[in-house]
Amino acid sequence: MMFVSGETGEPSAETTGIIEEIVRGQVIEMLQQCTNLASRRGSRSISTDDLIFLIRHDKAKVSRLRTYLSWKDVRKTAKDNDPSGGAGAPDPADLLDDAAAGIAGGTGPVQMRQKKAKIGLPWEVASFFSEQVPEREEDEDEDEVEANAATLQRLKNADERTRGMTRDEYVHWSECRQASFTFRKGKRFREWAGFGTVTDAKPNDDIVDILGFLTFEIVQTLTEEALKVKELEDQVLSESREKNKKRKREKFLFHAEEGRTPIEPRHVEEAFRRLQVPKPKSRAMRNFSGGVVKSKLTLV
Amino acid sequence: MNNNNLVPASWSRQPSTRDDVTALAERTRTNSIETGVEGGDKDDVVDPTIAAFRQRYDIFEKHIAIMFDTRRPCCAPPDMEFAALELNDDFSSANVNASGNSAVDNARPPVRKLDDDDYDFEDYEDEEDTKPKALPPLPFKSASSLPQSSDPSSGNIIDAKKSAVATREKLEADRKAAEEAVKRALPSMFFTLENDRDAMLEQQKLEESDRQVNAEANAAQANALGKLSSANLGASSLTLKHLIARIDAKREKVVVSDMELRNLMSEVRKNRSKWANEDKIGQEDLYEAAEKVVLELRALTEHSTAFLNKVNKREAPDYLSIIKHPMDLGTVMKKLKGHHYKSKKDFVDDLNLIWQNCLTYNAEPSHYLRKHAKAMQKATQNLIPLIPDIVIRDRAEVELEEAGALEVDAEGESDDEPIMSSRGRKAPGTKKTRKGARLEGTPEVKAPVVNLLRADSNPPGNDSQVSVGINGFPTPSGSTPVPNGLAHSISQMDIDHDRVDDDTHDVEYQTWKTLTKKARAKVASERHKLFRGNRLNSEEPALLRSRDDMGRFLRNEEKHARSAQDADDNSMQQGSGNTKLVDTEQTDVQELLPDYYDPLAAVPELPSGVSWYGEGDEVDLQDDNLRLAPRGIFTQPKSELSKRMDANIKQMQETRKLCSKIGVIKQMQVQTQMYSNQFTKYDPKEFVEADVEDFVVSEEGPVMCSTVARAALQKSVGKIFYHAGFEEFQPTAIDAVTDIAVDYFQKLSKTLTVYQEAPQHERKFEPEEMLLHALYENGADVESLDTYIKDDIERLGSKLNGIHQRMKAHLTELLRPALQDVGGDGSKMFNDGSEQFVGGDFAEDIGDDFFGFKELGLDKEFGLSSLSVPLHLLQGRMRSTYQTQNTSAVASADGYKPPPPFEPVTRELLEREIGLVRNFFLAKLHANNEEPLVEDEDLPIKQRLPKPRLPPTGKISAPRKRPMHGQGGNSKKKKKPNPPAPPPPKAAPLSSKSVAMDHSLSKISEADGDGNGGMMSPESLVGGGG
Repeated sequence: MMFVSGETGEPSAETTGIIEEIVRGQVIEMLQQCTNLASRRGSRSISTDDLIFLIRHDKAKVSRLRTYLSWKDVRKTAKDNDPSGGAGAPDPADLLDDAAAGIAGGTGPVQMRQKKAKIGLPWEVASFFSEQVPEREEDEDEDEVEANAATLQRLKNADERTRGMTRDEYVHWSECRQASFTFRKGKRFREWAGFGTVTDAKPNDDIVDILGFLTFEIVQTLTEEALKVKELEDQVLSESREKNKKRKREKFLFHAEEGRTPIEPRHVEEAFRRLQVPKPKSRAMRNFSGGVVKSKLTLV
Repeated sequence: MNNNNLVPASWSRQPSTRDDVTALAERTRTNSIETGVEGGDKDDVVDPTIAAFRQRYDIFEKHIAIMFDTRRPCCAPPDMEFAALELNDDFSSANVNASGNSAVDNARPPVRKLDDDDYDFEDYEDEEDTKPKALPPLPFKSASSLPQSSDPSSGNIIDAKKSAVATREKLEADRKAAEEAVKRALPSMFFTLENDRDAMLEQQKLEESDRQVNAEANAAQANALGKLSSANLGASSLTLKHLIARIDAKREKVVVSDMELRNLMSEVRKNRSKWANEDKIGQEDLYEAAEKVVLELRALTEHSTAFLNKVNKREAPDYLSIIKHPMDLGTVMKKLKGHHYKSKKDFVDDLNLIWQNCLTYNAEPSHYLRKHAKAMQKATQNLIPLIPDIVIRDRAEVELEEAGALEVDAEGESDDEPIMSSRGRKAPGTKKTRKGARLEGTPEVKAPVVNLLRADSNPPGNDSQVSVGINGFPTPSGSTPVPNGLAHSISQMDIDHDRVDDDTHDVEYQTWKTLTKKARAKVASERHKLFRGNRLNSEEPALLRSRDDMGRFLRNEEKHARSAQDADDNSMQQGSGNTKLVDTEQTDVQELLPDYYDPLAAVPELPSGVSWYGEGDEVDLQDDNLRLAPRGIFTQPKSELSKRMDANIKQMQETRKLCSKIGVIKQMQVQTQMYSNQFTKYDPKEFVEADVEDFVVSEEGPVMCSTVARAALQKSVGKIFYHAGFEEFQPTAIDAVTDIAVDYFQKLSKTLTVYQEAPQHERKFEPEEMLLHALYENGADVESLDTYIKDDIERLGSKLNGIHQRMKAHLTELLRPALQDVGGDGSKMFNDGSEQFVGGDFAEDIGDDFFGFKELGLDKEFGLSSLSVPLHLLQGRMRSTYQTQNTSAVASADGYKPPPPFEPVTRELLEREIGLVRNFFLAKLHANNEEPLVEDEDLPIKQRLPKPRLPPTGKISAPRKRPMHGQGGNSKKKKKPNPPAPPPPKAAPLSSKSVAMDHSLSKISEADGDGNGGMMSPESLVGGGG
């Protein structure tokens, strides 16, 4: 996952361990909040809406999630119809479809898109009205366009990276892309996330899938941030190094190292810290009221 | 006495005063002795104890003045007064003792001669007039005034020194000086009202006696007198006074020598009078004055008639035996013309002799002539001061004297003195000319003015004017010891100053009393009138401010202000200021009254548009007038954003309307039986933001009203709620959100304030920066706001629009599912015509694509399970519901309006009906308790007559068809043919529509058109289809 997100080197077990812990904490937090929401709603079991509600402010993410979900349906039906064609094919176009969900207007089969289910969210405009708004195919959701912008950027990055890859490398990469916390190891994931203790209800597959998606996003975000941190650090280091170089050249005799060093735990920690910095939005209402601002764990 | 010279003009007056007083007391004693010798009438000797008392009184008076110190410089005349007094003291101390009066001239003829010039009193006095040291006459003793005034020379000089002209207008000058003094003293003195009653009573008496005495004298005469006197004053003071004052003030700058100046002056003067005589110095002055006095006395006709001519022997045979020296006014006149009088004393003696003779002869106290004699005596006393105290001498004698005086001039006294004295000297021969001219310049002197008359009524002690005349001779020329060489230079003016130190305040007080007596009496009597018994008389007219009084008050205030400016200026300016005052106020005696005598006028009118908020707190209302607050303070401002929000909200409402219709239709599809009140019609009103009612504000700035502001915020919150999709919300919710919003905005503004008040030296924030910082700190930035507007308003608008379109399509689909999109031209023809398709269902049965749906591929497109007309459309009973629901859509679609509803049948309406149906309706009405009959269509559903139904197959079988049609329209109408209106033209629009129908349908419509009242037979349909 980290590899897919841009990490080149082989991260240490420590790093991955930290990331895993972070992701776990996030998942538990999410589940807790979902449970709260659900109980506020009056139901004991959490629904997908609750989960999506948590990330509602990140429209791009929501949009991605929705496409993910709809494509999940598509894939399911496609699998049913044609087991051979599926997500696993190492075809670039297919991969695009898989991960990025339907940006590629031309590549995807038309029938599939036709059947793509729309995930309606309760806070959407359509829910303003008592009657179900009839579907109309031609209207393109503007949100999607926006969300696709971010997705396209990611895909572009991926494309950049895969461009110079050999076939084997590419296979490896695409395999990595499929890496998931939940895929085919749902049971372990549930245990890992403490489903039994955090929520009473037994979450359905959809929720697990969403969580899988979200965890992937979390790892990706973390890795990207950590990479940024590292880059910054490297920059500072190299600057100072260049300064020092003039004086003590002999000290860096062996400094001609490999191109990239893996992300270290401190980078991840720093990245996490940065992501956890409370936004002014979240503490605005506590301005001028004094006291310590206790911030909850921010969902990445 | 010399030490008086050293005393500065300041508050350190008391010691010097004491000295002065004592000195004066001594002087007076000697003087009085002398005058006693001279005039014979003087019996006044000042007791040292009295003098001591006076002195004490003086001191205390000054203390009072100090205590009542005022910041207004003009109101603090004690300063001036003392300064002036000091000056006068200087003069007096220097000169007084040596020269008491004009007798000095006699005493030192050589001096004058040397100087070969004479003192010109006029010039000198004119000058003095404009100077502060030109002090009011300060009579020494009031009680002894009458007899003393008989001393011509002393009275003359004193008057001269006092203020105005030292000549024949002495009386005027006296008065003027006195008034001036009083006016100057007024602000410093506190006058009580205690004397007012006396004044009033006296005034009443006086008026009474005036009435008695002036029985024949007309009012015009009195008026003329008053006017003349005032005119005299003006003329006398204006002739050359200002010029001379000016020259004096700028003496250093004038290059011309004194002599030249004097010559110039004399040339300016006009021709001399008939009394002029080169060789007889003083003759002109004396005789001018004397003549005037005689004329004056003769003019007092009411008293003087008896004294105009010699006593007739026939009338009083024994007269000559009793009276040794008969005298009358005619004789005096004759003597004047014959130049028999050598001095004032001679003249005055003659005058007094007249009255005395009368009194002597008519010894009986009740004799009527005595009254006249007394009156004339008084008048004489008043007039005598007018006469200059001159002893006519030969020219040579005088010149000798002047020469001596000139010598001493060199030693110099005060600054002004040399000029004045030198000015006073004249080339021989010019002096008299001048005086004569002066006289001519001034109209005839009518001495006894109103005030004087009033003064008469006072006890002699109070009469300052009289006393002025009296004091005139405190220092006999010869007897007073001369302290030093200065004595040589003694001139008349010096003597004047000698008189100055005196019982100042007492005199001022008296003068004031005299001057203001009439006014005070008037005020008192007016006040008295307000009371009846001991109560206020409500009958009296209201006290009103008069414009003049207020103007005077304002003038006084102005004066204060003006003199405040002049406070630091020198004495000369003050002097001129004072003369100005005199000039302006001379005319109005009442002006002498202090402000508190006229409390009504003391309050200036508040200008309109100024409101009074208590203690000195005037607020100009001009700008702060109450006015209507601008509207729209508490409503959403008109902006693009709000416009969009409003549009969104409206769109939502429209869509919701559609939704409710859809809901109704769906419900109808499910339900078989429904009630007209089952579906509440959803017809939301457009939101109109209510503004507060008109209210009135008086200040600038925002309207601070927390409750209203909160309500307005709540309104906005509610709007946003609605905009966010909430149709309804609980008040508590809106309250909570409002509170949060309030809190948030407060924090926002607080943050802004923090940035605004941040120390500027560290970092200066631009307003924009401040705003951005504040926004950021509160979790909002421009980007998020922009996103909000874009996503939550603009995009929402487009979304809503899309949804609305879809909803609309959905609705039409529901209503006419099969034909929704058949063709642009034909689809609309079916808007209302559900009944036409009543028989459409059979198409499936016969397997014929009757409507051509299959051919068009409609079945697949819309997933139609059958080609039949939707079931619900066939339900005639639903039509009414539909109509209510779809009125707008239907009516707007084809421009057809449903006919007006039938009028309910009532008894009144029955009259117009044909006889056939009347009974029927009467019976119905009777059954209905005479209530208007209700149409079947309007009946509640359950009360309606059962109507034929479609069989469960949904097919309309032939036998049933007819009743069904009937039920649709005619069956009802058959029951009630009564409505005057023709049968509802429901079919009409249909038939007209049918013209435009396209191919397959046109036949139906044609057939439909053939059928009556929209009835449609299956045959025709079938036939058409075939």
